Amino acid sequence: MIVSLAQPYADKKIKAQQALYNVIDPELFVNVIDLGLIYDIAFDEENNITVTMTLSTPHCPMGEAITNGVRNALEMTFPGHTINIMLTFEPKWNFEMLTEEGRAQLGV
Amino acid sequence: MSDINIGKAPPNSAVLPFYATGAVGFWVLCLLLMMGSHSFANHYFNPRLLAIVHTAALGWGTMIIFGAAHQLLPVICERDLFSPLLASLSWYLLTAGAGLLIYAFWTMQTGSIMISGGFLILLATLAYFINVIFTGNVCVHCSIERLFVFSSAFWLLFTAAAGVLLAVNLVHPLFKKNHLDLLKLHSHAGLAGWFLQLITGVSSKLVPMFLLGKSGKDKLLRYSFILQNAGLLLFLCDGYFFEVTPSRIIIYVALVVSGIICWLLYLYDTFRNRARKKADVHMKQTFLSFVCLGIAILLTPLLLFADDYRWSIVYGTFLFMGWITGIVLGKTFKTLPFIVWNAHYKNLSGKARVPLPKNLYNEVLVQWQFRIFIVAIILLVAGILLNAVIVIQVASVVWLLLASVYLFNVIKVLLHKTTILS
Repeated sequence: MIVSLAQPYADKKIKAQQALYNVIDPELFVNVIDLGLIYDIAFDEENNITVTMTLSTPHCPMGEAITNGVRNALEMTFPGHTINIMLTFEPKWNFEMLTEEGRAQLGV
Repeated sequence: MSDINIGKAPPNSAVLPFYATGAVGFWVLCLLLMMGSHSFANHYFNPRLLAIVHTAALGWGTMIIFGAAHQLLPVICERDLFSPLLASLSWYLLTAGAGLLIYAFWTMQTGSIMISGGFLILLATLAYFINVIFTGNVCVHCSIERLFVFSSAFWLLFTAAAGVLLAVNLVHPLFKKNHLDLLKLHSHAGLAGWFLQLITGVSSKLVPMFLLGKSGKDKLLRYSFILQNAGLLLFLCDGYFFEVTPSRIIIYVALVVSGIICWLLYLYDTFRNRARKKADVHMKQTFLSFVCLGIAILLTPLLLFADDYRWSIVYGTFLFMGWITGIVLGKTFKTLPFIVWNAHYKNLSGKARVPLPKNLYNEVLVQWQFRIFIVAIILLVAGILLNAVIVIQVASVVWLLLASVYLFNVIKVLLHKTTILS
């Protein structure tokens, strides 16, 4: 996910992205941003945060822990906001979605 | 949250008792191996060896596989487990049944104890079969992995039913055929039907997940399914209805082996197209288990044409102690710590610094487990081939050490207390 400074709420998106660097996939030991699991983070005027994200596989055994982690990290960073997690498998995750840092951590 | 169902892990009561009992079962197996070392120097149809084989197949292999399968069925079928209650029930039935059956074999008490044990195991496999069928019933995507899991559950039920009939046959003859010939059909339905097909299906789903790999060669798995089942079905029908000859057995073995090769080619393709380059000790242990399976297959001609029962025992040793034990040892710490971690930390993730699943067990001991396993299997096979009871006894001590290390690490994971890192 690339955040452009010209986007609305760019400062908040960058702050959210920073928070999500702390959410680690327990199996791969890489954070959800560098894994490329987060497709979009949207803010609105009613203090709603909508995260569009995926998992490395449908029914991933760690799926609940990862989505809980995303919710918890954003709730701590943005108190009083409502967090919505939108899971999608379109497009399906693949290892092309890893960032350079994610590739380095996995030894790709 | 969107309406995509990412699924809930089954309750721990449907999974963890199997792992705990399986680890104890492995320790008991190695103890029986030590107490019954002499039986490895005799013909394979002896009470002690039958007790050891059934401890390996039921108290160890099937026990752990049931636990892992209840956890993984939702992953494979992309749907929540149909009935955690049935899963728990299958644990009670399998534990009681395996206990009775192993005791009956060890003391060679044919009759009510052996038949009751077999019947309880049959009920356990029926409970598992129902869970598999109904969990997979409304699969979002019909996959070949799911078909393997279905067929393996069917073959397990078939094997257990045949086992009960064989137990009855020892007291009230039901079959005209030689009991030893029927025993071969029963054991190969279990090995090539239950264990092989379950491991093929689950590994085809999990290995790509663990390696972050992918293979576009799904048709290899379809060929594998057809070949494995065709070979097994022909072997069973020929063996039961006709007088199967070694030359025909070779054809059936060739079919099953072709199926295994297709499956291994699929895994190799996944391995080549993986993101995760470094193979950890768990993957190395799994690879070694495949080597043991390969050696067992290569021994088949000796089994058929060499008039020496030792080859049958070496063949069984490579399958039960090399292949099945190897793969269970390799996969336990790729599954159990994650299951326990999920229960302790899934709600704390992102809130506080928590241990990772790999911190729940002792990694150094897993490395040692791998090394001890290699020594143990080499010593045991050497002892059998040399017909040297003293070597088998030394091997059994090494096996007991291995089981103790494994049991310690499993208990460490199971007794983990929630910890927040500072």
